[in-house]
Amino acid sequence: MGGADLIGKSVTRPDALDKVTGGRGYPVNVNLPGMLHGKLLRSPYAHARVRRIDTSEAQRLPGVKAILTARDVPQIPFCPVYFVPSDGETLIRDMLILGDHVRFAGQPVAAVAAISEAIAEAALALIDVDYEELPAVFDPEQAMADGAPQLHDGVARNIAKNPSFEFGDVEAGFAEADHIFEGVYQTQRVHTCYMEPRVCVIDCDRDGHFTVHSSMQHIFGLREKLAYALGIDESRVTVMKPPYIGGGFGGKLDMGYIEPLAALLSQKTRRPVRIEQTRYEDFICTTRNPIKMWLKTGVKADGTITARQAKSILDSGAHATHGAQVIMVHGLFGMTFPYRCPNKKWEGFTVYTNNIIGGGYRGYGAPQGCFAVESQIDEICEKLGLDPIEFRIRNALRKGDPHPFNPAWTLNSYGYEEALRRGAERIGWATRKPAGSSSGVRKRGIGVGTQGIWVSGCMGFPDIYEHTGAIVKLNRDGTADVATGTVDIGSGAITALSQIAAAELGIGVDKVRLVSASTDTVPFDAPTHASRVTYSSGLAIKAAAAEAKKRVFEIAAGLLEANPDDLEMIDAQVRVKGSPQSSLALTEVIRVAETPFIKDTLAGPRPSSPPQYKGTIMGSSSLAPPENPSPAAAMFAEVEVDTETGQVKVLRCVYAHDLGRLINPNGAEGQVEGGIQQGLGYALMENLVFDQDNGACLSADFLDYKMPTAVEMPRVIESIFVETNEPSGPFGAKSLSEQCVTVPAAAIAAAVYNAIGVRITELPITPERVLRALGKL
Amino acid sequence: MALPELKEFCRPQSAAELSSVFETYADGALFVAGGTFVHGLEARGLLSGVQALVDLRRMGLDTVSADDRGWRVGATVNFTRLGKMPGIDAPAFGALRDALACPPPQIRNMATIGGSIAASVPFFDVPAALLALDAVVITGTGVASRELPLAGVYTGLFTNSLAPGEYISSVFVPRPAARTASAYLKLETNANDLALIGVAVRVTMDASRRISDPRVVLGGGLNATHIRSAAAEAVLKGATASEELFQRAAEAIGTEIKPMSDHRCSAEYRAAMGKVYVRRALQRAIDRLV
Repeated sequence: MGGADLIGKSVTRPDALDKVTGGRGYPVNVNLPGMLHGKLLRSPYAHARVRRIDTSEAQRLPGVKAILTARDVPQIPFCPVYFVPSDGETLIRDMLILGDHVRFAGQPVAAVAAISEAIAEAALALIDVDYEELPAVFDPEQAMADGAPQLHDGVARNIAKNPSFEFGDVEAGFAEADHIFEGVYQTQRVHTCYMEPRVCVIDCDRDGHFTVHSSMQHIFGLREKLAYALGIDESRVTVMKPPYIGGGFGGKLDMGYIEPLAALLSQKTRRPVRIEQTRYEDFICTTRNPIKMWLKTGVKADGTITARQAKSILDSGAHATHGAQVIMVHGLFGMTFPYRCPNKKWEGFTVYTNNIIGGGYRGYGAPQGCFAVESQIDEICEKLGLDPIEFRIRNALRKGDPHPFNPAWTLNSYGYEEALRRGAERIGWATRKPAGSSSGVRKRGIGVGTQGIWVSGCMGFPDIYEHTGAIVKLNRDGTADVATGTVDIGSGAITALSQIAAAELGIGVDKVRLVSASTDTVPFDAPTHASRVTYSSGLAIKAAAAEAKKRVFEIAAGLLEANPDDLEMIDAQVRVKGSPQSSLALTEVIRVAETPFIKDTLAGPRPSSPPQYKGTIMGSSSLAPPENPSPAAAMFAEVEVDTETGQVKVLRCVYAHDLGRLINPNGAEGQVEGGIQQGLGYALMENLVFDQDNGACLSADFLDYKMPTAVEMPRVIESIFVETNEPSGPFGAKSLSEQCVTVPAAAIAAAVYNAIGVRITELPITPERVLRALGKL
Repeated sequence: MALPELKEFCRPQSAAELSSVFETYADGALFVAGGTFVHGLEARGLLSGVQALVDLRRMGLDTVSADDRGWRVGATVNFTRLGKMPGIDAPAFGALRDALACPPPQIRNMATIGGSIAASVPFFDVPAALLALDAVVITGTGVASRELPLAGVYTGLFTNSLAPGEYISSVFVPRPAARTASAYLKLETNANDLALIGVAVRVTMDASRRISDPRVVLGGGLNATHIRSAAAEAVLKGATASEELFQRAAEAIGTEIKPMSDHRCSAEYRAAMGKVYVRRALQRAIDRLV
């Protein structure tokens, strides 16, 4: 294979062998000569002022090389979110590397570098901090009340952001409705649980240039945010691209405290400094924001939605960070876009509390909204006796409709209905029983959750990067080096992008290598997030490969005495279309390009080939995708609820998704299965728990933070990929990743309702909650 | 670092060596075998005073022997080997088989019978099963040895009646009566959870379904230690097995438990589940005799 037939094939991951034999490419394994180890001293108080810090005893501990406190670091307020420009006008810059105002339990107040982790840790215990404790607030609604403790100067009622929008006339819409439904939905705080901890190794050289190794999801974002927080030019920072990282899922989309502190410790000691977070530190550095949602929907008797009004309160924790972005995505894509409805109104609040800060997590505000919206639709259908599949299709958008996010775009490929119908057929929707009708202690139910509108990247979002680029360079042996800033966060990006490059070039996928890169050597790339890599990076790599191929054809055309436009490349052979006997091996074309102009022969120097053929064959791109096509997802879950214990077991999942075009079936199924694992955890058990008196994290490790293991996973997960061939995408592809996490909670909640006839509107659906809902506690 | 005082990892090979380690560190010594709970404790700051981890696995405590009275299992026999104990397929050992299936596979070659008892944690599964089987603990100190019923070991959460320097050398499991069955059931959130509830039961039942010598052991967070429910056992003793009887036995535990409330679930839920699990465990045991 070596051409377009590579698309849709489950080629082997090129990084698989390396990963299963130790994974030397993980940033956690970076080890530089003379490296020091950093540790952070964290506040035990959720809200406090640091009156005084005495580091003298710690300084005297043998092996300690440097200690930093607030007075040693730049006091430049920054926002750590990678994909928003640091100078964005609306950006909320409310963090300091180290400051004297502590706003959550676990916020660093000092950092130590020592010759070993143990010595650094021991030094922390010798630092004496005098805190003045301040009243704290952990509930966002309480934080919005009069008299609540204020977290940031000049932020009234702790409201960091208060977006709202209105389409049509909501009051008229409700007046038109035959039925009005209202509900309140609450989601919890969960962690992405990436396997590799956040880690960085930063080396400041004699010229004051920083070289950064990090486990983050965006090399250019880290360069920008680090330079901004340190108050230096971006060109003084080089971020190395890791071959891969041990998971991210959105949890590594912002600069942590460790990177600027490692940089400053390195600057002070002139030695590389490594900081690795413990699992506990990872748990308190990022989370999916909890959101409480009030949702009111007006419906006609036939099931047409006439109006929707919603309010969302997002607990942003101590700083705005992602919370200021999540609220927008949540309001638009989570609460508003998925169904046609002429009259919509929504208001959102991003609220400061003394909880940990929020971050990115697959779905970025959509899973919360999906849980509310889809749960209410299930309730509407139940009460009005409507079929949930037909209700959704009646109200859904259709192919050819204007894109709700940007009416200048059209839903050119849109397989929502097909996904829903094929999924329904596979799960056996027709055999679904009335809610609560199954007999016995263990009751079974089937439910569905969908998300009609989502993204393939961030094209069109205000103040969010989307452009991306690649360099494709052909080697004499017929292989292609592909350099891009896109970080593979475990999702198989390397594989899919290799397939796209190989398919465009017309060579085998084993001839393509994603090579090392850094912010110095490749064009800017937006982060690995927002389900964007296959679509956006795929387009950039395809464009760079096409440019390289164009150069191949220019040279080959001369050698074959043909027109470049008449050439094609298949299986590494350049051929005249329609005349396969007239062909040339790709390696021969490259040899012509790379050999010296004058060739020395036994008969003396002779010209080898014309000078215009000379030079490395390569192509490059740096571009923004033309659109932001929407995928569509429908998940069906079958559950069994033990009505004596409240335990919910997910027996089977069917997940149907319009991804435009399938690039790698195994990789796509992996994304679905991983997504369902995270979505199932969100639905049933995951919860970062904090002491409500002092804000301390009670989920220190996986003994207390529960996520589904193989045992809790359904025995059957079926993926259905609907291929609608997106015209703007690389080989017809659009996105997959995030919707797999967005829809499971809604589907499982609906299935639980179908099983027991009782609706749970607060996540996670723990056994205790189920039992209380059943009136048995 | 949650073991800030740690100075040494010792692997004594004899009682004499062990005594000398203990003389050096006294209360600063923590005996371990598989060490599978060390992380869980240290991450919660519960091992801050430990100066020496003393690994007992080279003490020759890993033999299994059987005689007419029962089985004697060395303290450092791991869960995988315990699961292959001769005779364990009998209905009487159902609780032990059930309990051994609970810990995640990742630790079964490391976790030991002695360690699971000495840790004195009511959330562990294997000790609950051993209590239902009337296990006896044999301890040593290097100079002396004694036997005490397993039920006499626990004094509270993380505390026990072993003297400083005293370690478990083996566990004796008596041969059960004919027509005896046992079962263990655990309520957990995921497969590597500690028990929210753990219930082990044992019954001997004659041909007319009359129950004799019952055991009802309650673990998980139903109390600070594993306890036997005398009230539930009294309901069962001499009575005829039936669903209704098991329900009455389950109800009887209500006065004896002191369930904990924590971020994992409430005391109310634990109490309710204790009853459900007693009933279900009894049924599961009886089913093994039919």
